[in-house]
Amino acid sequence: DATQGTSTDCEACPCPGSSTCAVVPKTREVVCTNCPIGTTGRRCELCDDGYFGDPLGRNGSARACRACACNNNIDPNAVGNCDRQTGECLKCIYNTGGFYCDRCKQGFFGNPLATNPSEKCQPCNCLSYGTVNSETTCSQVTGQCECLPHVTKRDCSACEPGYYNLYSGQGCKRCDCSAIGSTN
Amino acid sequence: PRPGVHPLPPGTHLLFAQSGKIDYVPLEGHNMKKNDAKTVLHLPDKVVIAVAYDCVDKMVYWTDITGPSISRALLSGGEPISVIQTDIESPEGIAVDYLGRNLFWTDSMLDKIEVSKLDGSQRRVLFDTDLVNPRAIVTDPVKGHIYWTDWNREAPKIETAYMDGTNRRIIVKTDLALPNGLTYDPYSLLLCWVDAGTQRVECMNPNQTGRRKVLEGIQYPFGITSYGKNLYYTDWRRDAVISVERTVGKELDAFLPQKRSRLYGITTAYSQCPPGQNYCTVN
Repeated sequence: DATQGTSTDCEACPCPGSSTCAVVPKTREVVCTNCPIGTTGRRCELCDDGYFGDPLGRNGSARACRACACNNNIDPNAVGNCDRQTGECLKCIYNTGGFYCDRCKQGFFGNPLATNPSEKCQPCNCLSYGTVNSETTCSQVTGQCECLPHVTKRDCSACEPGYYNLYSGQGCKRCDCSAIGSTN
Repeated sequence: PRPGVHPLPPGTHLLFAQSGKIDYVPLEGHNMKKNDAKTVLHLPDKVVIAVAYDCVDKMVYWTDITGPSISRALLSGGEPISVIQTDIESPEGIAVDYLGRNLFWTDSMLDKIEVSKLDGSQRRVLFDTDLVNPRAIVTDPVKGHIYWTDWNREAPKIETAYMDGTNRRIIVKTDLALPNGLTYDPYSLLLCWVDAGTQRVECMNPNQTGRRKVLEGIQYPFGITSYGKNLYYTDWRRDAVISVERTVGKELDAFLPQKRSRLYGITTAYSQCPPGQNYCTVN
């Protein structure tokens, strides 16, 4: 407050580097107005949208703000792609998920880190008649659905040889054909 | 002035968002008075995406994706007042119907377009289908229309509907990529948009066929607003507000705030409401 007329009226901005600051008229709060690139907040303690870190080390060691690290599985045109402090990716695309968009989301399998988006995560498409508890999710890596007894194939869509009645929803039953009357 | 021709109000400002704050720059004629730019609201721990202005109560409305929430404050200064803070995930577009006293917004995580009264009451979902990345939304209060963009990379589009949610239809879907910003000018009756994929500013009269390229080869536009013969857009690569003469298709000026970071939504804060009334104001 430069109007008091004492030598201590003006104080240095409590901001990193030579960043400028302003006093919010209503609250008398001091806010840094020109934080370094990628940082923001009252005291430049936060990262801008699209960046993450802890520039002043308020929760542990200081981490400079850097761009969201989401394995190219975010869209640069989106906003709020990662948590500004932890870096947790919030808007994974191409059916990916996980903290760094580094896994296939539930119900999908494949290689989330493949370069070509069409080779990333595919839907499990489990046949629910053939899966345990009619589950539609599969192993995120192999894509294998969890099949009922004597049900086979990645998507649990067929009976093992010599078994039938896939659509019973209780696994496949043995054919029980008479060895004498059948061809093999 | 000729009947039907209304002079633009003086004392008009541009309002725009830059993560932790909302700034304004006054307009003198059509020129940005860059030296008189100021911060209207410091919101240091927020990421403000969209801004809208109510010319009746002279309040600014904004969306924040960190809350996430929608809030408002008097332009003359005053504490932010929360309007919406539940069932909201990534609000990226906001529009005020100053005649009907309604608020419209888009949410790109919920994939919805919603409406409420300006204080957040009487909230209702207008649309929750066929939306992938809804972003900008604007109103034509006189005709009771809303317009919005969806930057879905598979099928980007600009849509319109009546404010009650009826008569929804797509009005632009070709030669479109990332339509981030949209503006409706009540004086020229033109709907204009910026596209970060085609890198163009384009305009159309929504009641007619045909559209016009205003400017090509721009960098990374995000928001756009109109005032008289000019358009003003924000750009993520230039960290600037850029003025464009709509009729000539020429860049006029650029304002770079002192803080170098992305600029988001932008709107025109008219000193008085544009002329006109609608069914609701007379009934």
